[in-house]
Amino acid sequence: MEAHVTTAAASGAKLQDLAWMVLASPLLCGVGTWFFARRLRGLSAGLNIFGILLSLLLSVILLGTTGDHPVAATPFHWLPIPGLDFTIGLQVDRLSVLMSLVVTVVASLVMVYSTAYMHEDASFSRFFALLSLFVFSMLGIVLADNLVMVFAFWELVGVSSYLLIGFWHRKPEAGDAAKKAFLTNRIGDFGFLLGILVVWSAAGTVNLGELEAKLHAQPGLLGSMAGVAGLLVFMGAMGKSAQFPLHVWLPDAMEGPTPVSALIHAATMVAAGVYMLCRVFFLYTVPAGWPEALGFMGSIGAGMILGHVGALTALLAALMAVQQDDIKRILAYSTLSQLGYMVMAVGLGAAEGTPASGLFHLVTHAFFKAMLFLGAGSVIHACHHEQDIWKMGGLRKKMPVTFWTFVVGTLALVGFPPFSGFYSKDEVLATALHVAPPLFFVAVGVAILTTFYMGRLVLVAFLGEARSESASHAQESPRAMTWPLRVLAVPSVALAWFPLAEHIGAAFGGHGHGAAHVVTSGGSEVGLMPLLGRVFGAIDAAVLGPFNHNTMAATFGMFAALLGGSLAWACYGRGGSDPLPARLGGWARLMRNKFYLDEIYSGVVIPVHDVLAMLFSWADRWLISGLALRGLHGSVELAGRALRLVQSGNLQTYSFLFAAGLAIVAWFFLR
Amino acid sequence: MNLTTSLVLTPLVAAFLVLWVPGSFRVVTRGIALLAGLVTLAMGVAVFLKFDPAGPQYQMETLIPWVSSSALRLGLHLGVDGVGASMLLVTALVGFSAIAVSWNVERQSKLFYILLLVMLGGALGAFASLDLFFFYFFNELALVPTFIMIGVWGTGDGKDYAAFKITLYLTAGALVALAGLIGLYTLSGASSLDLVELQKHVAKTPLPAGVQAWVFPCLLFGFGTLVGLWPFHSWAPEGYGSAPAATAMMHAGILKKAGLLALVRVALPLMPEGVERWMPVLAVLCVGNLLWCGFTAMRQRDLNLLVGHSSLAHMGFAFLGIASASVVGLTGTVLVMVSHALLAALSFALTGWLRHQAGTLDIDKLGGLLARMPFVGAVMVMCFMAGCGLPGFGNFAGEATVMFGAWKALPWVVVAAAWGGLIIGGVYMLRAIRSVLHGKLPDELQGVTDATSAWRRLPFALMVGGLLFLGIFPSTVTRRVEPEVARVVKLARPPAAKAGGAGGVAAADSGR
Repeated sequence: MEAHVTTAAASGAKLQDLAWMVLASPLLCGVGTWFFARRLRGLSAGLNIFGILLSLLLSVILLGTTGDHPVAATPFHWLPIPGLDFTIGLQVDRLSVLMSLVVTVVASLVMVYSTAYMHEDASFSRFFALLSLFVFSMLGIVLADNLVMVFAFWELVGVSSYLLIGFWHRKPEAGDAAKKAFLTNRIGDFGFLLGILVVWSAAGTVNLGELEAKLHAQPGLLGSMAGVAGLLVFMGAMGKSAQFPLHVWLPDAMEGPTPVSALIHAATMVAAGVYMLCRVFFLYTVPAGWPEALGFMGSIGAGMILGHVGALTALLAALMAVQQDDIKRILAYSTLSQLGYMVMAVGLGAAEGTPASGLFHLVTHAFFKAMLFLGAGSVIHACHHEQDIWKMGGLRKKMPVTFWTFVVGTLALVGFPPFSGFYSKDEVLATALHVAPPLFFVAVGVAILTTFYMGRLVLVAFLGEARSESASHAQESPRAMTWPLRVLAVPSVALAWFPLAEHIGAAFGGHGHGAAHVVTSGGSEVGLMPLLGRVFGAIDAAVLGPFNHNTMAATFGMFAALLGGSLAWACYGRGGSDPLPARLGGWARLMRNKFYLDEIYSGVVIPVHDVLAMLFSWADRWLISGLALRGLHGSVELAGRALRLVQSGNLQTYSFLFAAGLAIVAWFFLR
Repeated sequence: MNLTTSLVLTPLVAAFLVLWVPGSFRVVTRGIALLAGLVTLAMGVAVFLKFDPAGPQYQMETLIPWVSSSALRLGLHLGVDGVGASMLLVTALVGFSAIAVSWNVERQSKLFYILLLVMLGGALGAFASLDLFFFYFFNELALVPTFIMIGVWGTGDGKDYAAFKITLYLTAGALVALAGLIGLYTLSGASSLDLVELQKHVAKTPLPAGVQAWVFPCLLFGFGTLVGLWPFHSWAPEGYGSAPAATAMMHAGILKKAGLLALVRVALPLMPEGVERWMPVLAVLCVGNLLWCGFTAMRQRDLNLLVGHSSLAHMGFAFLGIASASVVGLTGTVLVMVSHALLAALSFALTGWLRHQAGTLDIDKLGGLLARMPFVGAVMVMCFMAGCGLPGFGNFAGEATVMFGAWKALPWVVVAAAWGGLIIGGVYMLRAIRSVLHGKLPDELQGVTDATSAWRRLPFALMVGGLLFLGIFPSTVTRRVEPEVARVVKLARPPAAKAGGAGGVAAADSGR
């Protein structure tokens, strides 16, 4: 433990206590807005953007000072009870600092964008306050040093997402979507909480560093509960990162304002599940163990199951995306599919000893997917809240910045070199190929589908002729919206040229095959300065790295992108209407209706609860209340009636009763 | 006169004063009540802050002997331990808020405030009493006004039936508990019902197992009924559904907790064998609260009934902590008691506001209220979120602690608790928010108004603030209750009995 989480002695003052400011700054600004600036639009936007930028700046400083070993900021003893010490502690290490950078960069750009996008909204200030609340909660997950704190902030992220999806609360659909998102997440949280309890009761601590050290020293510590603990904790990730079968909330969450979709439902909250899996990765590298009832699982570890769930999610979501018409929903299904990739990579990474490839994809995806969503928002804004791609068209000329950034995002998403997505997707494919070849081919199939539906989206929405009144009058969005797009385009293109993969690899001890092989240059000292110094030398190696490292994965990835793109061009290059429903028939309907999974939920899961509720309610009213109360009531009433017979007012009856009573008493005493 | 005694007497004296004010002087009666509430609140804070966890077990004691024969000694013995101090503070806070939200009581307001103050004084007395006779007396003193208030100021068609039902159940429960207390007194051989003396006596001569075997269930089910233990719970929702807001706040928030306090303070430490024999039963019954009452809450179409059922479901967590009879679990129970006091009171204050504004609490007739009520609506969202266990509010701290405390001994009950708290709780709370606050505002409700003045907002802000404070700094409470909880657990699970407990844990471990 001491060796693992060193105190601040090395760097002098407790610099890592800055992490508290990273966390607190958005909260303070959000709360300040709520109390003091609810009617001052300029001030509330400025204050919240300032709060996020401060967090961003501090994260950069922390990045520059983070070494190989995690350091802990001074903890706050939240609930110390003998036998159970809940603390709120922050762990500053490569992983958490990297993630807090991703969160704050995307969040600050989304906030700038929102000043224009939400300009006409009456609840402008509330929107910014809620965004800050969300960022605070998200940074809490990122920086947490123990599982209970992760869980607490997990729930807070859930509720801020709930409040933001339901931001337009007058819209019934928004209210329904918010509710659905929260409840679906709650199912995951149920498992997560039990998982934490299982781990806690076996290891006696919830602190991540201590857990890792304990499991490292004694891999069999969890014994037969290892697999169950891994799966229960994974349930939490299934909720937040929308894995099958808990994915149903994410597409509906698109009812929220588009900046929310970009920040929460593309870049950060949905990534929290994957991030958390990386944080508790040590749970998946321990030897597989199952209780007797699950003995048939044998030596299959929880990680392998994660890999399959992820692959299934990636495939199903990509198939669903092919037949959606709403621009935001296409992107939402694409997010689902990419999250599936990440979970698959993390799960399969258990066999390699590092989840680095999944995390790498998480980081690149956060930027380009946020950009795609913001681009979609720009289109929606220009087309007067039209979201159907078939009612757009011809936007390329009218909205050049939006178009070109959207193309950059698309190329990154489909994994075209040298865009960042290519490198991270290549890592994911390489991991799959290395650990589970069948899943590799699923992943390549998903890559083909990805290019296909993204090609469809770009071709239909941006090229061809305007297909509606609103699309023909579209204009480029204001600068506050286009500049964030331009800025996000930079990491979408070039992020992977930096030694990012190496940084991530080093975060997991650098002993994996996953990420460390992209950049071959050695050394583990990744601070800010050395990082900048090595950038140029590394670019050369990085750009061509994948082809040297794993030719098959890289080639298949490229091939998939080209094939999907050509198919999309063949189907939609001429514009007009969608040829697929006619060609695929029932399959297309199945995809369009999301394989009827929502219907299965609303037809099975919810009614089961409702029927139970009805049953219990009925029993409550008629059995418990009825029998107990009416029985009591009845007997009292009966006694009352019997006694009333006696109270007849007839003197003879009274004297008879008096005599009888006397006789009984006399008998009792004299017997 | 020390602080505890003044705290208990203030509302009672105020009630006495109001008695002499003519009924038409409504401003004066309300003024006296509010002032008394405020003074009570200040003293409650003072008692809480003055309590020193490192000091003696009971602090700020007063003892006024009343009956002192050799066979029976009774006396007004007031004093606080950490649990009592926390409950006194929260009682004073809820009491003040209940008075503050009663601005819209017009009919016979003088009598209303007298009864409310008596209720407050009774509740404070019950939490401060260290003599079981006076504990019982004060508890009844607070209960009787409940029945009258539901009958006189209640609303809805079923109010007479509800008043009748709640009276019947609570009287029956109290009688069973009284039988237990009398049994405890006569069969223990102690010559007093003073808690301190009883504890000393039992430490020297433990109760015979045969006695514990029937006295313990009397207390468990008697006090359990007062709390709403399944299946003796069905009085609660209907009673609260018909009660005026202040009464429901005081009863659901505060008076229920007296039963829990009695279980923690009397039943557990005095009868370890009863604990061993009956705690598994309690563990099963609390699943009834957690799941059954949660499911019935899902079915309710009346917001007050929904809140009533949900408050019963929350009591499942308190019972679970008691059933675990562990330090962590019991600390959780105390946290649940304190936070749920605020939560239940806040819920009923909110439904009271809605009923006054909208004229109905039928969920199907409400909707879109957030647009018209940004303040009350926001408080309601926070309240319902706290109700489904959102971190940041005290309930999460309590419920999570209970689950951790009970996990080793009762894993399957904790699974039920997690399902009930996270999922079922989420379903009915979010359904309520969705149908009451979100969506379109019906035409009939265009005229509703928000709480705009600082004075109207104060009670809501106080209770939400309390919940947030508890959620962020739960250690202010746990630090104070730690010695008492440790002592109770030590007595309830003496080393001999602990072997059985440890066996249970081992069995649970091997089961997993």
